[in-house]
Amino acid sequence: MVDFSLTEEQREIRNWVRTFVERELMPLEPEVLRRERNGEGHGLTPQELHDLRQLAKKSDFWGIQTPVEYGGMGLDAVTTALVEIELGRTFIPFSFGGGADNILFYANEEQKKRYLLPTIAGERKSCFAITEPGAGSDAKAIRTRAYKDGDHWVINGEKTFITGGNEADFAMVFAVTDPEKGANGGVTCFLVDREAGWRSEPIPTMGEWGPASLVFDNVRVPESNVLGEVGKGFELAMKWIGRGRYLLPARALGACERLLSMAIDYANTRETFGKPLAERQAIQWMIADSQVEIEALRLLVLHAAWQVDNGRDSRHAQSIAKLYGGVKANEIVDRVLQIHGGMGYTRELPIERWYRELRLLRIYEGTDEIQRRTIARDLLKGYVKVGASLG
Amino acid sequence: MNIVVLVKQVPDTETERKLDPADSTVDRAASDGVINELDEYAIEEALRLKEKHGGEVTILTVGPEQATDSIRKALSMGADKAVHVCDDALAGSDALQTAYAIAQTLGTLEYDLVILGSESTDARTGVVGAALAEYLGLPQLTLANKVDVDGTSVKIQRQTDDGYQVVEATLPAVISVVEKINEPRYPSFKLIMAAKKKPVTKLSIAEAGIDADKVGLANATTQVVDFAPAPPRTAGTVVKDEGNGGVLIADFLASKKFV
Ligand SMILES: Cc1cc2nc3c(=O)[nH]c(=O)nc-3n(C[C@H](O)[C@H](O)[C@H](O)COP(=O)(O)OP(=O)(O)OC[C@H]3O[C@@H](n4cnc5c(N)ncnc54)[C@H](O)[C@@H]3O)c2cc1C
Ligand SMILES: Cc1cc2nc3c(=O)[nH]c(=O)nc-3n(C[C@H](O)[C@H](O)[C@H](O)COP(=O)(O)OP(=O)(O)OC[C@H]3O[C@@H](n4cnc5c(N)ncnc54)[C@H](O)[C@@H]3O)c2cc1C
Repeated sequence: MVDFSLTEEQREIRNWVRTFVERELMPLEPEVLRRERNGEGHGLTPQELHDLRQLAKKSDFWGIQTPVEYGGMGLDAVTTALVEIELGRTFIPFSFGGGADNILFYANEEQKKRYLLPTIAGERKSCFAITEPGAGSDAKAIRTRAYKDGDHWVINGEKTFITGGNEADFAMVFAVTDPEKGANGGVTCFLVDREAGWRSEPIPTMGEWGPASLVFDNVRVPESNVLGEVGKGFELAMKWIGRGRYLLPARALGACERLLSMAIDYANTRETFGKPLAERQAIQWMIADSQVEIEALRLLVLHAAWQVDNGRDSRHAQSIAKLYGGVKANEIVDRVLQIHGGMGYTRELPIERWYRELRLLRIYEGTDEIQRRTIARDLLKGYVKVGASLG
Repeated sequence: MNIVVLVKQVPDTETERKLDPADSTVDRAASDGVINELDEYAIEEALRLKEKHGGEVTILTVGPEQATDSIRKALSMGADKAVHVCDDALAGSDALQTAYAIAQTLGTLEYDLVILGSESTDARTGVVGAALAEYLGLPQLTLANKVDVDGTSVKIQRQTDDGYQVVEATLPAVISVVEKINEPRYPSFKLIMAAKKKPVTKLSIAEAGIDADKVGLANATTQVVDFAPAPPRTAGTVVKDEGNGGVLIADFLASKKFV
């Protein structure tokens, strides 16, 4: 039957991360806000991030989802979601070290030595590049071209909005190798070192961090740098995107919990017309609605994660969690900002930062509209039956 | 060297703590239980001594069923095993009775050193260490911010308001620690996953050799007669600095005998 209790291990891991966030990350928040306000860089410095990751590593918190045989924790999806929720409770962008993109595990032994293992060790940084100026939601429309020249491939094209593209020293680039076949067998994924000659340009955004555009101008890569098989790139791209869509709303859920707590504290202390805001029904309803949505989101996220752990087809549930999380997190941060009045709008508090940051959730890794399209298509074509989510 | 660490589960200081109006005891159901903060330092010190001198670290907790959470955390930090005295008859015991219960339980264990926190964050009597040493007839070394064991003797730095005293005793002994002593480690993931395999012995008062007539609310040596919430903070006085702000602050501090 339905059992909502956590295992003892899950509770301990959740509490561990909660303590880590409260003890190590939250104390840095005022300083991070100050630096960002003054344009002195965003988030943690590379040194701070490194030190925090090493501290966590001392307790074996390293490689959350990296398989145990690679020195990781190999956490299941539900536990990983619990970890993400806790990390979301601070706006400081932190992730544990020891991770690598899931598709790097499809590398052959020789590539694993050059790309996977150094990435896990934190010596190399990757980025995932599929989106192009002319191909976002419609990823199949990519035009970046790779043609064979002896035992090399030559890549030409432009990628855009690539997270980590400014810092990466290699990119997983998706290019068309057979225009006739297109996404059905004509797209290949290449591991391309920065030294091979691609350039990156930062793209300023409304968030604190920005992705990059990447330019490939006759970039030559050896045949040995094809990830997986020639023509099987699109399948890898879908694997990357499907690796854990539930984790994005999980992190947003943590943010919502923190934001709602801030709103409750503020409503209890701020007085207007001689009474605390908490006594006004208009404010109470905002708090009540936020709580309902937070709890609904928690169930959607954990349900999607549970499906992953149980080897079920989780795509539909993941789309639902991603869509609901994106929409509701934005409504909640808006309410919390409203409850804080003018203070909410200032950069003294992190609310406006979250307001800007959470907006991204409705866009990347499948926009709201694309999630709705998936959900509707699943139903209209009969892939998923209404009311059948429990099997 | 075998060390027993006394661990108390207390209500999380982050959440609101309440007293139960029915019997003036802490309403433990009203907030999450966590390890008493100073006890984490006690555990850390025991683990460091074990890393240096070998032996085993045993956690001893007197408390209700839910205290299992704190025991598990202590095991995930690296303790080897635990003894949990859990019996309804203990409910409402005061500090002296708790010390008695701990002393009796220790009688069933082998140890060279007992380490505990110098104070709990809930009842905050700070007397368990002293009472326990008395019951056991052992030397008590309190408020330690440094511990060194050498063969059969132990030397501590005892923290005082203006420095420290060096106090030495023979083993076995009872040591209470302050937070200056170390930086407690985080539980390790590997140990979290293995904590279930570590032995936790659950004892009733009879099994621990505790006399039912000497514990529990009815037999407590002290009694909470009355309690009241702390008075709300009054609005402060606003002083406008018209060139004489410094003088006004100095006068204020002098009136409160701070200067
Ligand atoms: C900060 C950031 C980081 C990113 N990181 C990466 C990354 O690391 N790697 C990577 O490859 N990409 C990345 N992206 C790209 C991201 O995945 C795309 O921006 C996203 O898929 C949307 O594509 P688009 O921007 O081209 O919008 P478009 O596809 O042009 O869509 C524009 C609007 O039209 C709507 N729309 C599109 N098609 C339909 C339809 N059929 N029906 C109804 N509405 C539709 C969309 O929902 C959207 O509202 C990132 C983007 C951002 C902003
Ligand atoms: C107002 C009030 C309400 C109380 N309500 C309750 C109640 O509801 N239920 C109840 O059981 N008791 C209750 N008590 C009793 C109180 O919790 C005991 O006094 C306590 O067990 C020991 O006292 P302390 O916490 O002040 O110990 P301290 O002397 O301050 O603690 C020092 C150290 O002793 C060790 N230690 C203390 N207690 C234990 C323990 N139980 N197990 C293992 N190690 C320990 C820890 O290492 C701790 O750091 C109440 C006491 C007061 C004053």
